[in-house]
Amino acid sequence: MAEYENLRELKTISYKRPTIKKGYANQFLCIDISDLDISFKQVTEEIKSTFVGGKGFDLWLLWNAVKKTTKWNDPENAICIASGPMGGTPTFPGSGKSIVATISPTTESVMDSNVGGYFGPYLKFSGFDALEIKGKSSKDVLIFIDGIDQKIQIFEAVELSEESYDLSAILTEQFGKGKPRNISVVSTGPGAKHTLIGCLNFTWYDSKRKRVRYKQAGRGGIGSVFADKGIKAIVARWDDVTLSSNNPADVDLIKDVGKKYSREIVELDPKQNEMSRIGTTHLVTIMNDYDLLPTKNFQYGRHPEAANVGAEVYRRIFDKGYDGCWMGCTVACAHGVKDFVPLTGPYKGKKVFVDGPEYETIAGCGSNIGIFDPFTVVEINFYCDAYGLDTISVGTSIAFVMECFERGLINESNTEGMDLSFGNRMNALELLHQMAGGEGFGTIVGQGIRKMKTIFARDYGADADILRDIGMESKGLEFSEYMTKESLAQQGGYGLALKGPQHDEAWLIFLDMVHNFMPTFEQKAEALHWFPMLRTWFGLCGLCKLPWNDIVPEDNKDTPEPAKVMKHVQWYTDYFSAVTGKQKAPDDLIHMSETVYNFQRIFNLKMGFGRREHDTIPYRAVGPVTVVEYESRQDRYDKQLAEKHKIDIAGKGTDEKLKLLRKFREEQYEKLKDAVYKRRGWTNDGIPTINTVKRLNIDFPEVLEVLKENGIQ
Amino acid sequence: MIKIKEKSIQWREGMTVADLLKDLDDPQHYAVVKINDKYISRPDFKKTMIPDNSEIFLIPMIAGG
Ligand code: SF4
Repeated sequence: MAEYENLRELKTISYKRPTIKKGYANQFLCIDISDLDISFKQVTEEIKSTFVGGKGFDLWLLWNAVKKTTKWNDPENAICIASGPMGGTPTFPGSGKSIVATISPTTESVMDSNVGGYFGPYLKFSGFDALEIKGKSSKDVLIFIDGIDQKIQIFEAVELSEESYDLSAILTEQFGKGKPRNISVVSTGPGAKHTLIGCLNFTWYDSKRKRVRYKQAGRGGIGSVFADKGIKAIVARWDDVTLSSNNPADVDLIKDVGKKYSREIVELDPKQNEMSRIGTTHLVTIMNDYDLLPTKNFQYGRHPEAANVGAEVYRRIFDKGYDGCWMGCTVACAHGVKDFVPLTGPYKGKKVFVDGPEYETIAGCGSNIGIFDPFTVVEINFYCDAYGLDTISVGTSIAFVMECFERGLINESNTEGMDLSFGNRMNALELLHQMAGGEGFGTIVGQGIRKMKTIFARDYGADADILRDIGMESKGLEFSEYMTKESLAQQGGYGLALKGPQHDEAWLIFLDMVHNFMPTFEQKAEALHWFPMLRTWFGLCGLCKLPWNDIVPEDNKDTPEPAKVMKHVQWYTDYFSAVTGKQKAPDDLIHMSETVYNFQRIFNLKMGFGRREHDTIPYRAVGPVTVVEYESRQDRYDKQLAEKHKIDIAGKGTDEKLKLLRKFREEQYEKLKDAVYKRRGWTNDGIPTINTVKRLNIDFPEVLEVLKENGIQ
Repeated sequence: MIKIKEKSIQWREGMTVADLLKDLDDPQHYAVVKINDKYISRPDFKKTMIPDNSEIFLIPMIAGG
């Protein structure tokens, strides 16, 4: 029997922890849980210079782990988790992110997700730049990476709590040996087991509140892969973290830049978005004012009750205190609700602490499903986390189901008697509990929108065309929560994103729609090159993107391209140089990302995707699908037809105008693809050319082989 | 008086956010301003009156999300 309760030791190895040098441990940890094999791989200079770290390392490990025929639930599929060279620098804002990658159950291709909490840095300081887990176990297993005692252990987990919420708290206590701050846990819950939209919860210990806090790697069902493998949890244990933990090349420079950055945030955040007080909730009413808040499955962008789930309400509900999901991050936006008492489910009547909600959860599990009660949103947020479900996919999927229900595409005989009209909060919660338990209609909703479209058409006789138009997924991933009908650039921001429609690659709505800074296709394409590249870079380095442009310097507006916030980009460049000792200029950051970005596109191609046809988005993301939608913003659409497209609309009915508008908008999206592919150095079918891969030094034989198989020589 | 960027500006009856931005003659495109704790978006600039003794923050909402 092991020293821990509920855990039966299956394997233990001791290892010698390497010294971290200039942000790297120079070693990967590879575990195959099928045969309990634990091995280490060297990280060569070539791997570092090509893939940098973080997502780049994940992709390299995953590429080598899977074949083109690998499915998400095959044993060879890997879950890879990495920090990055700057990951683990305390007090430098946003330096604690972990990046996770796997083959997704909903997109069947490469998925990546970035997440806060302490795991990535603890993994690195324990001696590993990245962790790769392959295989499958028939027993529930727990992996313990103990950087202090220098051992890796695999346990069988017996009768441990199913819910992530309890599980992480128990494991933190068990493994912390009186120092809970030394522990970070990765886990999921029963929802991940019974659906394809499971998330991973990563923890950090909140010393002030004396409790375990959670952040989620939500997108694309990574939690479902984790559960399918039979992994109950991964626990990392590490000691104190200091500025020297990364053994950076120039610690004084880091101190200097970090201090300037932190001070600027402390001074300006209260005057700007107040993230340290209200997180991202300020976006709710702002999006609503601009007709951008997804409402009732992205039909509309505005609702009179939006303020009920806005910042002014959550300002009062959030527990006051420091909420940095990384040590010393002065943005400190990871807020939570204390002593919340759920009305339903297994925690009904008990006091719980809820991490969140953030904007995406409020929009997805609130306005988009017609719910404007802030506490219902908190309850959905809580159960998604406890059950290990992605709040974005849950929200967007329920929104789709509710619209289908209201349109009569599905009915109570399909939903097992549930009225799933918009705003039905008790049934939305019931659906969530069903997803977690693998029961009733919840089992179907938990498959995600792409599979639901097939089931609704095939088994319930629903009209496949309308399902295609209103099902808000692309590449198999549910849309995150911004309206894009009036921003062609953001349609590209979603549709041309490598993993599917998540806004972490580009968020151009304000630049495009509100400020009209990029009227031409070429300007949009330039933005859809530069912004995704810069944003990708944060994920290579173990960084959070938020400090870059959610707080901007006061003199930023006087710079030539304010949207790029170049003062901060320069700071990040200095930071990279100071940690790694490699002197870089801002343009080099873009080049680093381009390499990994193109590699990921080719990885999609390897898995059978990654072409023009896969960058398709539903028409709901492009324009009004129905007459009612058109007529709700008739002045806007009529004006566009008349002024932009020179159509004489006199005497034309809504049906005819709807079709005309659709034709124009769909053509524009295709033209945008042409411009972006050209800018990115891709063929007109969306595939990187030989010149591009050569320029980026990723012309390895196996890359060229994939290109050749796809007609690129 | 209203306070903006550490400076004081004379308040006048009926002053809207749009009026204030015009007075400031600031070329930046502000999408949102904050009056004390309240966020006001550009579509509402013309109709939102600024109360006397407010503190105003101009928010460079440019590439959030
Ligand atoms: S900005 Fe917010 S999400 Fe990013 S590291 Fe800091 S607290 Fe975490």
